[in-house]
This record gives sequence, C-alpha cells and structure tokens, in this order.
Amino acid sequence: MSSADIELHDVCKVYRKGRIDIPVLDGLELSIAAGEFVVLMGPSGSGKSTLLHLIGGLDSPTAGSVRVGDAQLDQMSERQLTAWRSRHVGFIFQMYHLVPVLTAAQNVELPLLLFRMSASERKERVATALSIVGLADRTDHRPNQLSGGQEQRVAIARAIVTDPDVILADEPTGDLDAHTSEEILKLLNLLNSEFGKTIVLVTHDPRAAAHGQRILHLDKGALHRDEKRAPRPAAAAVS
Amino acid sequence: MTLTYVLMQNLKRNPLRTALTAIAFAFPMAVFVAAIAFVVAMVRLSQANAQELRLVVRHKATLTNYLPEGNRRKIEALDPDRTRLKAICGMRWFGGRVPDSKIALTNLAVDPDTFPIVYSDLAMTEDETALWHRERRAAVIGSLPASAYGWKVGDRVTLNSTVPPYLSLEFQIVCISPNPVRANFFFFRRDYLDESLVQINAPSGRVNTFWIKCTSVEAIRSLQQQIDAMFANSPDETKSEDENAFVAGFIQATGDIPALMQAMAIVVVFIVALIAGNAMMMSFRERVRELAVFKAIGFPSLRVFFIVITESLMLALFGAMLGVVPASVLLLIFPGQELAKLFGVPIINQLRLSWPAVVGALAIAAFVGLVAGFWPAWQALRLKTVDAIRHVA
Amino acid sequence: MSLPLSYHLRCLFVRKTSTILTILVVAAVVAVLAWMTAFAQAVKSSLAVAGDERKIIVLRQGATAESNSVIPVDEFNKLRQLTHLATDASTGEALLSPELMVQVALPRLRDAGRTTANVAVRGVTEKAFQVHPKIKLLGSSFSKGQPEVIAGLAAAKQFAGLNVGDTLHMGYGGDRGYRVAGHFSAQGGPMESEIWAYLPSLMSSYARTMYSSAYLRLREGGDAAATIEQIRGPAIQLSAATEAQYWKEQSGTFQLYLLLAYIFLAAMCVAAIFAIANTMFSFVAGRTREIAMLRTIGFGRGKILAGFMTESVLLSLMGGVIGSGLCAAWLALVGNKKDMFGANTFTTLAFEIKLNPLIIIQSLLAVTLVGVVGALWPATRAARLQVVSALREP
Repeated sequence: MSSADIELHDVCKVYRKGRIDIPVLDGLELSIAAGEFVVLMGPSGSGKSTLLHLIGGLDSPTAGSVRVGDAQLDQMSERQLTAWRSRHVGFIFQMYHLVPVLTAAQNVELPLLLFRMSASERKERVATALSIVGLADRTDHRPNQLSGGQEQRVAIARAIVTDPDVILADEPTGDLDAHTSEEILKLLNLLNSEFGKTIVLVTHDPRAAAHGQRILHLDKGALHRDEKRAPRPAAAAVS
Repeated sequence: MTLTYVLMQNLKRNPLRTALTAIAFAFPMAVFVAAIAFVVAMVRLSQANAQELRLVVRHKATLTNYLPEGNRRKIEALDPDRTRLKAICGMRWFGGRVPDSKIALTNLAVDPDTFPIVYSDLAMTEDETALWHRERRAAVIGSLPASAYGWKVGDRVTLNSTVPPYLSLEFQIVCISPNPVRANFFFFRRDYLDESLVQINAPSGRVNTFWIKCTSVEAIRSLQQQIDAMFANSPDETKSEDENAFVAGFIQATGDIPALMQAMAIVVVFIVALIAGNAMMMSFRERVRELAVFKAIGFPSLRVFFIVITESLMLALFGAMLGVVPASVLLLIFPGQELAKLFGVPIINQLRLSWPAVVGALAIAAFVGLVAGFWPAWQALRLKTVDAIRHVA
Repeated sequence: MSLPLSYHLRCLFVRKTSTILTILVVAAVVAVLAWMTAFAQAVKSSLAVAGDERKIIVLRQGATAESNSVIPVDEFNKLRQLTHLATDASTGEALLSPELMVQVALPRLRDAGRTTANVAVRGVTEKAFQVHPKIKLLGSSFSKGQPEVIAGLAAAKQFAGLNVGDTLHMGYGGDRGYRVAGHFSAQGGPMESEIWAYLPSLMSSYARTMYSSAYLRLREGGDAAATIEQIRGPAIQLSAATEAQYWKEQSGTFQLYLLLAYIFLAAMCVAAIFAIANTMFSFVAGRTREIAMLRTIGFGRGKILAGFMTESVLLSLMGGVIGSGLCAAWLALVGNKKDMFGANTFTTLAFEIKLNPLIIIQSLLAVTLVGVVGALWPATRAARLQVVSALREP
C-alpha cells in the first residue's frame, strides 16, 4: 500500500476577482509525514479548501513550493498535474459528486478508465474497494437509490480504487447526520490505520476533528496552531 | 420597473442562448419568407386568372395540334345572345425568340379584333388599343422582355420563331403591360402572321387554342361542356378547361416549384417550432426556483404564466425579425429576372418581396413562440412554490 | 481509455425533452437532405445514361430541341456522306436513324389523372434500335402493318393508358388508335419516358412529310468533333451535338430546382448547428460539477472535449437514422415518382426517386459534421472549465 509525505514551503496563493487581488494563503509552511491523518480547521474564507486543492494538484500556488511524495507540484504543467493526480490522489467531497446515470460500481470504476487495465482487473479492484467501504452488496444501485451515507462511501471507494498515496477530504460529513458522519470518519480512520494512507481532512466540525492525529488551525491564510493528539485506538470494522 | 423590463432582463440573463436561439430561428424564417412569398405570388396569379373568367379550348390530343380558325364561328354560334360568351380569341403559338437569346417568351399570334376584350387584364389604354387595331405589326408585351432587352413603346423588334415554318418577323411595340402576372408575354396580330405564311405557301388559318372570355363561373362550366360535346369524335376533338386548370398543368411540370416551396415552408415551421420549444424548456428548467420566488412574493400564478409565454413570444419574434429583415432585403434586390434568364424558367420571376409573406412569416413565428412557450408556462402556473425553492436546478 | 459510450448515451437522456427535440430537428434536416440527394441522383443518373459520346443528334439549324426541329428527307439523305459513320455489320448500311417527334397528353397516375403531362412520341425505324443500343425490348416490338406502339418503362409507370393492350389515341385528329404492343427499357435514361412508334405510320397519322431529327452512330474511333463540323458545314447545313451535350442543355429547370433546394438545405443546416450548440451549452452548464469531478479524478481537458463531441455526434446520428427512416417512409407512402418538364423539349422526363445506402451514408456523414461543428464551442467551454470554482458551486 502506498503512502506519501507532503511538504509546503513559503506557499502563497492569490485569487483575482475582476480587478481585485484576494490573497488566500500567505507564506504557508507545512509538513505532513507519510501515513499521518491531519485535520485542517478554520473559519470560512481561511483558505483551507484552497490548501487542499494545492496539495491535490488541482491548483497551482502563486509562489512557493509544494511537494507530495516525489512530485514537485509547483513545477508541473497542467497536463502533468492531471496525470499525476489520477495516480496519486483520491478526493472526497461534501457533495459526493457521483454520476447519477451510472451505478455504484461504475462510479467507482471511473478513475480506472484512465489506465491500461483489462476489464476483469478493473472489476476486481472495484470489488475490493467496495468491500473495504462495506458496500459489497450495493454495486448495481444508482446514486438516487442510495442513502447519503452510502453515496459518500461510494465516493470514498472511488477515491481509493487507484490506490493513491494521499486521500484529501473536503468536509465529507457536511451533509450527513451525526451517526452517519461517525461511520464515515471511522472508515477514514481505517484507511489510515490499516492501509497507512496519508489523509488530509478539511472540516469545521470539532467532532470530526477528533478523529485526526493532528489538527491544524488556519486563519486568514496562515497556520495558527498545530495540535498533536494521541492516536485513536484502531477503529472497529465498519459494517 | 415594468414587466417588460423584467422580460428583457431575462432574455439578457443568458445572452448566448438568446443569440443562438435567435440565429437558429432566423435562418429557417428567412427561407420561409421567400417560400411564402412565392406561394403568395402563385395564389395571386391563380386568383387573377380566376377573376378573368377565361376558358381555354385546345385540341384534346395535345396542345401542339392545330384547330381550324373556322371553329371560332361554330363556338360563337353556341351563344348568339352573348349572355355567356363575351368574346372568343384564337391564338397560335409562334414561340419567337430574340436572336441569340435564351429567354423563353410566351409568344402568341392572336385574333386582333377580340384580343383586347379577352385579355382586358393587360390594361391597355384606349390609345394603345386604337394603335393595336391600326398597326398591322402591333405587339403587346409584358415587363420581362421590355426590361431584359431594353425595349420601349414604338420600338421595332424582330423575333425568330422556333416552330415550323420558322418565320422571322418584325413587330412594332404598341404597349408594355404593367400587369406583373403577364410579365413574359408577347402578343401580336394573327392576321399579320397568316399573311406572312401565305407569302411562303405555308398552311395558314389555324390556331392552337381558343380563349373565351365568359360572363360568369357558371357560364364557363356550361360552355366547357357544350364545346367539348360539339367537337367530340371529330378530327378537331377538343378539351376545354378554365385558365387555372390549364396553367396548373404547366406549373406542375416545371419541376413543380410551387410544391417544393410549400413543402419547404412546412418543414421550416416544424423545425422552428422544435428549436423554440427546446430553448424555452431549457430556460424554464434553469429558472424554476426563481419563478417559485415570484410566486412566493405574491405574483398570481396567471401572471407568472404570462411572463413565461411572453418571453417565448418575444424570443420567437426576435429570431424571426433577424431572419425576415435580411431575407426581405435580399428579395427586394433578388435578381428574379436574371435567374429567369439564366435558367430559362420564367416562373422564378415570381419570387419577389411580398408584404403578406412578411406578415405571414411573423405571424407564424408568433404562433410558434406561443405554442413553444405554452408547456413551460403551464408548468410555471402549476408550480408548487415550496417544492421549487428546494429544487436543485 | 475514455468514458464508455453507454455513459454518454445515458447522460443525453437525462434531459429527455431537450435531447428529443434536438434529435427531431436533426431528423427533419436529414429527411430533406436525403430526399434532395436522392432526387438529384435520380435525374443526374437518368441524364447520364443519355451521355453516349458516340451518338450524335442532328437538328435543323437554330432549333433548340427535337420538338421544334424539322429535317426534310433530302437533307437527311445528305448525312450519308459522313465519313465516320458506323455501319451495320451484316448489311453494311450506315447506322443513321431518321426520327419524328410528336406528343400526346396523358394523365398522370400519381395524382389520379387530375393533371396531364405531355409525353414524347418518337417515330422510328429499325435502325433506331442499333443507333440507340441502350434500348432493350421487353416483349414484342410494334408491328409495321398495324398501328402499334411500344412504351418506355418509366412512362408506363407514371402515366395512364400505357399497359400492354391499351389503345392510345394519336394522330392529327386524335382519332388513330395505336395499340400498346409492349414495353422497352433504356437504363433509366430520358428515352425511357417516351413512346415509340413506326415512323412511316406516325408520319401518315400526323400528315408530316419531314423528319424532326436524326441520330447517327460513329464507328469505332470516329471523331465526334469533326463529324459535327462536317454537319454544320456548307454541304449539309444542319446543327449537331453529341447526345451528352444536347441533354446538358435541356436541364435548365432542373438546375434551378437544385439551386433552390441547396440554398434551403444550407439554411436548415445552419439552423441545426445552432440548435445543437444551444442544447450542448445547456448540457454543459448543467453538468459543471460532474465535469469538475472528472477533471479531479484525472480526466484531462482533451478527454472532456472529446466526451461532449461524442455526445453531440451520438445525437446527430440518432437524428440521422430517424430522418432517413422518415424519408424512406415518405417515399414509400406518398410516392417516389416525379416528372420534370423541359421548356425546350416540351415533353416530360419521368423518374423514380430511390434511397440507396450510399445516400443514407452521405446524409449521416453530413449530419455528423453538423454535430461536430455545433458542439465545438460548448465542448471547448466544458474543457476550459475552472475546476476549482466549479467544485465550490452550491
């Protein structure tokens, strides 16, 4: 199972809105070890989603260096970033972003279409991913036949099917109730503890934050606090 | 802030879609205007013909067979009181062409005495009529040859006949008829033709058709039956038909361009309705939440209905104008006469701007706009505000 | 590897109404395109049959068509001087055919006889069958003793009274009854719209002493241009052209018809392009989050562009198939027979409009192009989507 460390050095990100320049990140420094489960917290507008996008190669910094594993992201072209992303990163969003016309299994299969793989190999990987998230029996359901929690699990399966080094989650429990949120977070813990994935979780919910080993507080584009907590006991198998 | 303002803003909300829809609308509409203009011209033509109450008598076997001129008297004898038959004019095809020209004229030698009566729609003045009777080589022509060859009243012109015995005759133009429906005609006196035929020992005293000016529609019908009955089973067996039926045979055969135009018009309306409908559906889907808000604020449902339908109407009319205006301009400068000359098909000259066609095209566009907007407007009417506000577009 | 076709198809039908309306627009355009192409094809191939380079038609000087030409018998005989004439292998006689053109008005079958058409009647001798080798008898020929005719297949299919055994009323007084003895085919060329009779019989029925035209066949390697010059020259003083040239001149009406049709089609195609663009823009706008998600996973801009182009092409092809079906149904139900009148020949050319696979493929290709062009701008917009801001959308 693969994993990568993350290093950001003197990172600045400025957005242009019309004629105004809005600085979102300013001189950010951050190091995340491989296999760490890090939580990013902060008020809205603090730049946490931006930071996540930079780590995931979805966006490029205005200045500074972003390194994930062996890849120096700030020096890669968009095409290179896209290709890199497909192999090394798994994204999980608040809105799941599943394709409504495809089944759960087909949704999970999507990232695999970018690689040269036989159909049977793809099928195998999809089955593995779905069983890890505990949805082995829902493979042929469409998103509108699944509950919110189940949809998010499909999204997680999709995020891990390519065996990425890093999993980036942007408010994954934002739309879910307390009980379902807890299940999702436990699943993330599993991915981290059993499979050693580096996870960066963005949230404003303190209870979600409790699942991470390290909490980073962002405000106005800079890190304010860096808490380290005791690692949680291994999560029970999620049903 | 009026409703109109709101409507205009809506159309501007997605300017790309408005533009695309308008352009997609405009092209078929342009074609439509042209096609309808043509159909209108054809209808005018047939109405003009019908008004003239003329009956055409020809040889039953084929138009190119001759009938003896003496049969005119026999036909006249059928109605000595002239209650049905006003006048009868024998016509013989000369098929003349200006040397080295491709334009096909409707060129006929006609009985001089009755011609002005039978063809009263040429609107010959008294002086012109007098000149026709006085001048042996008189010719009455339409606007097409006049403009094509630059002829004026008083000019002497020569035509070469394309039928046996291939005479070449000189004529003097006494009248250029303004009637647009008779544009490519060239009539001259049959006594002049017969004299020339006699001079070269060719058979004379024959006609291809008799044109009869009748007093009423019933007169046409009764004379039609009587004439055909009179000549049945004789060597000069006849087929009589009213002018529109006679002309229909020709028009049908010239590739049936009127039918083509009508078909085009229908296809256009169909396509345009689909385009408009699609645009309206897309627009509606995006604005469901906003329309619900209107209702929540307190706009009555009917008002919302009218907003949507009016928007559709305006979009349709905008697109239609975008197509109709350039098409009208093009039709104004349309080289109908040039094309008629180029292809030798005079009927294309009828393709010109006609206001009924423009109005008709806009009316159809408005109708399409209303129909296309109806379904989304109806949906808007029945919208449950609460559901819609939660609806994710 | 890229996204499967089933994904694209399903995406199209999420927005059922828009997709169906757009498909119908395309279908309408294709139906008309296929019909026009088939029509043009039918006339062109008919005229192409009359493209024999070794057959020369001779008319009176200044005549524009056979129907207004006369050739006196002694002038016709002068044609025997021509040096490049082919000869009959067995008899050694020159392949020279004197012909007389008259017409007869016959009701059209397709509108139940409401209108009549002027059908050409050609008086010929036996030589005609050798000079016009594409004419094949289907059954008996006309006898020389009895007044009989043979009818071209195209004419028999479109005009009334041309079945074997029917009697045609011809002649100057319209009182000579000619029995239809059989039919002939002419590979779909213009002569298949004619009726043929025995020349001397026809001449006496119409009280004619002169021929209308003459056709001659050049021998192997004979020089057409030189022969035409000779015919025009002072010794003979008639006009001549190869058959191909003659028929090209007669097709003025047809050219105009085609021009009008193509202008119409061009306008419709533009409308279809804009309609497709409109629909695709709406699809793209409605799927921005999905596009962003795909980009996140690693599908590059090119793949996104290709995806939307694929959807547009699928749309167009579906419309194309439906349109072709509509056209075929129209031809089958309403009829595929048309005839066109030559202002010069004063007779009508009958032909059948047929859809063949090539025409359908051409129409589908055309409509695919329309789909590609229409989708270009929206697909580019999808490809250029700013992923980050799209992900932020509520």
